[in-house]
Parts: sequence; C-alpha cells; structure tokens
Amino acid sequence: MRGLVLPRSAVRLIGPLTVLITWELTARFGLVNKLLCPPPSKAFADLEVLVSNGYLWKALYASLFRVVCGFALAVTVGVVLGVAMARIRLVNDFFDPLVELLRPISPLALFPLAILWFGIGDGSKIFVIALAASFPVILNTFAGARSIDVNLIRASRSLGASEIEMFKGIVLPASLPYIFTGVRLAWGISLIVIIAAEMIGATVGMGYMVLEAQQTFRTERVFAGIFVIGAIGFATDLGFRSLRRWLLPWYRETDN
Amino acid sequence: MSGHPGQELVRFDGVTLTFPSTQGRDPVEVVRLLDLDIGSGEFVAVIGPSGCGKSTLLSLLAGYLKPSSGRVLFRGIPVLGPGRERMMVFQQPALFPWLTTAENVAYGLKLRANRSNGRNIPETVAAMLRLVQLEGFARHYPSDLSGGMRQRLEIARALAVDPLVLLMDEPLAALDALTRRTMQSEVLEIWEKTRKTILFVTHDIDEAVIMADRIVVMAQRPTFVLEIEEVGLARPRLREDPEVGKVARRLSSLLE
Repeated sequence: MRGLVLPRSAVRLIGPLTVLITWELTARFGLVNKLLCPPPSKAFADLEVLVSNGYLWKALYASLFRVVCGFALAVTVGVVLGVAMARIRLVNDFFDPLVELLRPISPLALFPLAILWFGIGDGSKIFVIALAASFPVILNTFAGARSIDVNLIRASRSLGASEIEMFKGIVLPASLPYIFTGVRLAWGISLIVIIAAEMIGATVGMGYMVLEAQQTFRTERVFAGIFVIGAIGFATDLGFRSLRRWLLPWYRETDN
Repeated sequence: MSGHPGQELVRFDGVTLTFPSTQGRDPVEVVRLLDLDIGSGEFVAVIGPSGCGKSTLLSLLAGYLKPSSGRVLFRGIPVLGPGRERMMVFQQPALFPWLTTAENVAYGLKLRANRSNGRNIPETVAAMLRLVQLEGFARHYPSDLSGGMRQRLEIARALAVDPLVLLMDEPLAALDALTRRTMQSEVLEIWEKTRKTILFVTHDIDEAVIMADRIVVMAQRPTFVLEIEEVGLARPRLREDPEVGKVARRLSSLLE
C-alpha cells in the first residue's frame, strides 16, 4: 500500500478522537442539553480544578489503596487455592461447590453486610474486591494447572524430575499464562467493584466523588471522574500487557 | 554407551494390558500376549492400523503404563517407571515452551548436575544442537521453530541425557511430506552416528521399510504381533527402489 502510512498507535487514536470532537461540537452548538451533557472541554477544565485543589489526588489515593489491597489479597488466595484445587482432589471437592455457589452472587449484594462487618471505611471495600476478584484468579489458575499437556509431565519424568522439580519447573511455568489472564481479569473487576461500592457507601474515593457531583448537578465533574476512571483502566491494562511480554517472553497469544 | 551390538536390550515377555472397566463399561483389552526382543543398537519399526495400540508398546517400555500381566524387561530388569535410559520422542513435540532451544536440551542435564559434570552442560548442549543442526537457534523459543525443527529439538533433548533407547512415537507424522523425507534421512544419520537403539512407531509402511532393520507388524486391537519382518536391504534405501516396493507391498497386504 502506498501513500501516507501512520504508525499503528496513531491509527488507534482516531476512533476516540472522533468521538470526542463530535461530542464537543454537538454540545457547543446546543444540539444536546449542555447541562446534562456538557462538552468534554468543560470536563477537562474541571479536571484541572480538581488537580490543583488536590481533591482528585485524595479521592484517587483512597480508591487505589482499596483496589490494590483487595486485588493483592485476591491474587494471593486465588493462585494458592487454584493450584491446590487442581492438584489435590480433596481440596477441590471441598472448595469447588463453595466457589460455584458464591460466584454468581453479585459482590455488591454482600456490600451492605460488609459495611456492617468492616465499617464504612477501607475494610468493607477491600473485602468485596478481594471476594469478587478472587474468582477469575481461582478459575484460571485451576484451568492452567489442569490443562498441562500430559506429555510435558511424562517427558520431565523420563528426564528424571522429582515431584518438586516437576512442580517448579513444569506445573508453575505452564500455568503462568492462565494465571496472568486471571490476574488481568481480577484487576478489571477490582476497578469496577470499587467505583460501585464507593457509590453505595463511602465518604471518600472516586466513586464517591462522581456520585457527589451528580447529586449537586455538576455534570462536568461527573464526566471528569469518569475520564479518570477510564484512563486508569486503560493505562493499567497496557501495563499488564508489557508486564506479560517481560514475564512470559515465550508466550504467543495465537499459538498453534 | 550403547551396550554391545546385538546384545538383547529389551524384552516384552508375555505382556498383556487390559484397562479395567469404568462406569459400567466393559474392560478394554489393549494388548494381548506380546512377545518381542530388541537387540542393542537395532532400529526397529512398529507398524499397524491406526488405533491398534502401537503407541501403547512405547508407553509400556517408557514406564508410563504398567502391564496387566507379563513383564517388560530392560537389560534383564523389569521396567518400574520412567527413566533416562529410555527416552520418548512424542508425535507432537512435548517441548517446554517457556525454555529456549538450548535450555530445553539442558533441562534434563541440569536435573542431575553436580560440581563435576555441571561444567560440561554447555558443551553437551552445543554438541547436541550441532548433531540435529540447530546450532544457530540456541536462543529461540520452540514457538519460533518450524515443525521439523521442533522434532529435531525433541530428539536432541532426549539424546542429551545419553539414553540407551529412543522411543519414537510417530515422530514424523505431523510433518509435511517434504520435511518428512528430509527428517527420515536425518533420523537415520543420527542413528548411525550415535548407534542408539531405536524403537520407531509409524503408520507409514514405506517409511518403516526405508528406515528399519526389522519391522514389527501389529494386529488391530487387541494388539499382538502379527509378523516380524527382517529388512535385509542395504542402506541408503530409496522409496523408488523396486526391492523396497516389494517389501512394502507384502507388508501392506498383511495389514489388509
């Protein structure tokens, strides 16, 4: 193909930019209600205010602290439980029904209880995040540890690997791509759950900030908050991708 | 360390294998009374209709399966489990995808490394990669290699631990016709250089006639030895050679 060739990263900006510009124009020319749907430029202006008065950092710090704690708990428990369930039948028989019973329950259904148990502060949020985010880690780790090619196990046995060498050298590395997928999903769920939880019951945080803005009818602040939440999700997922390239250089997403 | 040529290395002594009944299904008789001797340094091919349990033969000798009755003897001692003296080469290469080419070859060596032999590992790895013509690919991952290269790598990994017998389970079946022909002569070359005993399962009669000293013809399930054919032709043998064709036709009439 001849002519202008943009780098792929630039091409990928075209979609979001088109939406932003269209939105800005329709809002400015009064095609939509400016009060309900202010132009993005106003949202960015409000974002500047939030940054300069420090309110954004306070909210962001509160939310991210809860997310990181809950997420870390979910990953630790999820990996250990997933591997144990895959390798030990008794553990699987004990935990599998519990996981399958709890998994369909919306984590937010448990949030009112969590507030009673752990208070309106960080504890209740960390609890629901840890609960909700542990399921994808458990299930993916389990799938990874179970789906190991039996011939890899056989080959390493023939080569003389002991049980421990097999676990360290084969089971764990073979499960890593699956575990990584579970961890990535868990992070996404953590971000979703924290915002919702902070909208139900919190005194600080990104979700609380957005809800408060809505109740005082500052729609540009609602959008500013949503932009930040979206940007964090986008940036962290990029981070996860490069982390995977670094951790699993051998892994090909479309391996055949 | 290949033992004395001609000396008996492997003996299947009245081996049967029956999978016990599961969930109301009848028990499955896989191998019925198998007797077979293999001499040290021999290249023995096993042919038979697909699903006739040819691979079962290898799994029994590799120690992945235990006979229901009879004995599998290796150097006069019953096989009790997998071991480095009997290395399997799988149809779909069972390479460790998270290890580079060189690391795959080194894996088995490192399991038994100590102060005296640990220093020689890089040398052995280099020699093995040279033997299978992969010296330029030491730092590639298996996913970067072609099918034929992966198969050669698997052979190198098996040979690195200096086994007495190579168990090859349709090692070339997954390759395209052209690669397959090249690999046939390469396997023969490796055999001539190393003088390992090779037990080679294939469903390709021509391949068996071109490569093997002896051909074991197996019957449909339950497996037993239908006939053992000595191929007395001089090497290299060509597919187009009428003598080769004659042997191949006779064998294929046996299988009809």
